[in-house]
Order: sequence, then structure tokens, then C-alpha cells
Amino acid sequence: MAYPLLFIAFEREKAMKAFIAKLVDLTEKNADKIARQWAKDVQTNWKTYSYHEAPEEKILREAREFYGNFQKMFFDESPYDLAREIFGRYAEERYREGIPLHEALYALILMRRHMWLYAEFQSLFNDELEHRQAVESLSRTILMFDYIIYSVANTFWKLMKLERTAQSNVH
Amino acid sequence: MQSYAAKLIDLIESKSQNIARQWADDVMQHPRTPSFHGLAKSVVIEQGVDFYKLFRRMSMAENPYEEAKTFSWKYAEKIYDEKIPLREALYALMLMRRNLWLYAEFQGMFFTALEKQQAVESLNRTILLFDYVSYQVAEKYEELMREHVNKIFSSARNFMERGCLGRGKNLFQRALIGGLVFLAFVLTYYCHAVGRTSVVFTHLFYIPIVLAAVCWGKKSMVVPVILGLMLLCSHAVFLKGIPYAEDMIRAAMFIVVGFVIGWLMEDIRKVWQLFDSLKG
Repeated sequence: MAYPLLFIAFEREKAMKAFIAKLVDLTEKNADKIARQWAKDVQTNWKTYSYHEAPEEKILREAREFYGNFQKMFFDESPYDLAREIFGRYAEERYREGIPLHEALYALILMRRHMWLYAEFQSLFNDELEHRQAVESLSRTILMFDYIIYSVANTFWKLMKLERTAQSNVH
Repeated sequence: MQSYAAKLIDLIESKSQNIARQWADDVMQHPRTPSFHGLAKSVVIEQGVDFYKLFRRMSMAENPYEEAKTFSWKYAEKIYDEKIPLREALYALMLMRRNLWLYAEFQGMFFTALEKQQAVESLNRTILLFDYVSYQVAEKYEELMREHVNKIFSSARNFMERGCLGRGKNLFQRALIGGLVFLAFVLTYYCHAVGRTSVVFTHLFYIPIVLAAVCWGKKSMVVPVILGLMLLCSHAVFLKGIPYAEDMIRAAMFIVVGFVIGWLMEDIRKVWQLFDSLKG
């Protein structure tokens, strides 16, 4: 009895992985297009005010790097550790650029939204089976973003704490 | 989609206590939210319930983004008062979302193929709500931090805004400190050459030393060095036969005091820069 159930679970896992691979592949191939859409959004959205004056080429580079690193996370055995490593650096760069944390987080949220919008626009989730897989891969995408957001907030916090040592020296 | 969203909202609202309890269990033992571990469980559950009730209000609101603020700002203020770091507050929100979704899945809400299709839509809607809340919580938390820093460093701010540290080209400062150094020269000449005494008039030298350190930080070291050298040279010329020991100690103290105050003022400048960046 256990074997058929195991087989179904295995097949389901395989199907999900295939779907995620499809999503990741689409993002990888169209990273430039998605990055451009994101850049356009982030440069006009009032919740990412600090990006409005930034040079477009710099913003595009940021997005391309992000999508490249995001794919690595999907297939890594320990995505949380990888997020800490990669997106710790990403957060440090944003911190040095003087971007407030809430805007940096919203820019990440917009990156996720654009990735997903592009996939939807390309009709990646057409039939019933794909819809089922979409729920699972959407959950996985969100989990990855949860790790990223936590890592970014954590690095910002540490950097602010470093600056605050000046304060403790004074008192 | 509407009916499905309503079904989900009904479930969330009617089971808000249960979901909040599950979330409280999770957040109070999760390694990424250690600040929640010591809180009273009833308080944590209350926060969860507040959040889950927001779904209904947001679905009915004309402007869901503004409606989300009713929860976000309160949550940020509470978290800030409890001294919980922002990263943990954000992670706790993520756990709220995860527990909500887990509960809905556990209740078999997304069983059929059609429901799966609708689930994608409603999952997107849930995420949108969380996006709003995360942004608003981070924004409010940073605002509270700014206010706090503002309050703590208001005296430092007044001090800086009056043009002391970091404005080295201020002519008035230069003239004032230059004048005081000149007066120190005159006083030294008078005491050494006319009065033939080394009584403790040198205490007055600390006025230009401290002022220079406050205004120019470590760069002010030139003032105590000039005053110390001048004191020793004057001693050599006018007070022959009197031991140097006392004036040497005084000259060394000028340098030590000037250095310590200058060093501390550099730190204040760093704090000021942090304050300024938070203000921006």
C-alpha cells in the first residue's frame, strides 16, 4: 500500500521540480526583459522613491544580478545559507547607497511580482495540472523571498548596529 | 473568484483564534524569532488575531493599502516598544502568512482542480496584503527609530547645527580660537617675563584647547601642541633656574586633554552622520 503512495509523492515532486525548472528557465532566458520591466516600475513607484534618480544602467545591473542569484537559490540544498551569503552582500550595497530598508524591501517585492507577472503573461500556467503545480511553485518562490527578505533585514540591522557603536563610545 | 475569496476570508475570520494560536506556538519557538520567546502567549495571540481580522476589513475597504495601516502601524509600534528587531518582526509576519496558508490547506480548501486554480489567485491576493503590511511595518519602524534617535541626540543636533563640528572653514571659530591663543601668549609673557612666576594661570589655556577640539575634532591637536611648546620655550627664556617638571606636565596634559576631547568629538560626528542619514 505504501509503495503506490510513495510513487505518487515521488511523481508529484518530480512534476513540481520540472515546473520550477520551467519557471527558472523562463526567468533566466528573459532576465533582461524582466529586469527592464522592474526598472521601469521601481523608477516610478512612490514606495521606492530612492530609486527614482538612480541611473538606469545601475538599476538594471542590480536586477540582472538578482535574478541570476535567485535561480541558484532554487536548486541549492541549503537555500537559506545561500540567501544569507548572497543577499547579505546585496543588502550591504543598498545600505551603502543610502536606500532605506523599507524601500529596499519593496524593490525586492516588485522583483518577485515582475518575475511572476512575466511567467503569467507567457501563459506558463495553462492547464489544470500546471495550476496545481503553480500553487506549489508559488509557495516555493515565496519561501525563497522570505529567506531573502530576512537576510536583507538582518544585514541592514547589523550595519546599523555597527554605526551605533559610535553612539555607545560617546556614552 | 469572489466567492472563493469570501470562503477563504470566512475561514480566516472564524478560525482566527486557532490560526493565531498555531502562529504563536511557531513564533515563540522559532530560532529566527528569539525575541518572541519570552513574550506572554496571550499578547502574541492577540497580535495574530488582529492580523487575521484585517483580511475582512481589507477585502471590504475602498483603499486596502490605507486599511492595512490600521494593523501595520500598531504592530510596528508594539514591536518597537518591546525592543524586537525589525528582521524578527518581519519574519514573524512571514510566519503569520505561512500558518494561515497551512491552516487553509489543512482544512482541505484546495482539493479539486478548480480550487487549485482559484488558489493561485487567492494566494496572490494574500501575498499582496503581506507585501503592503511588510512595507508599512518597515517604514513605520524606521520612522520610530528616527524619532528615538532624534530625541536622544537633540542636544547633539543643536550643537552641530550651531556650526561646530565638521565646518572647519568657519571664520568666526578660527578668529575666536586664534584670539584666545594670542591671549594665552600675552598672559604667558606677562606671568613669566614680568611677574617671574609660573603660578597656575595655565588652566586658562584649556579654554582654547577644548573649544578647538569641539570645533575641529582631532585636527585641533595643533592648538595644544603650540600652547605646550610656547609654555616650555617661555620657561626656557624667562624662568632660568626653575625646574621644568611642572610645565612639562602641564604641556603634556594640554595634548592629552586636546586629544581625548577631539577623539570623542569625532565619535559624536559619526553619530551625527548616522542621525542625518536616518533623517534623510
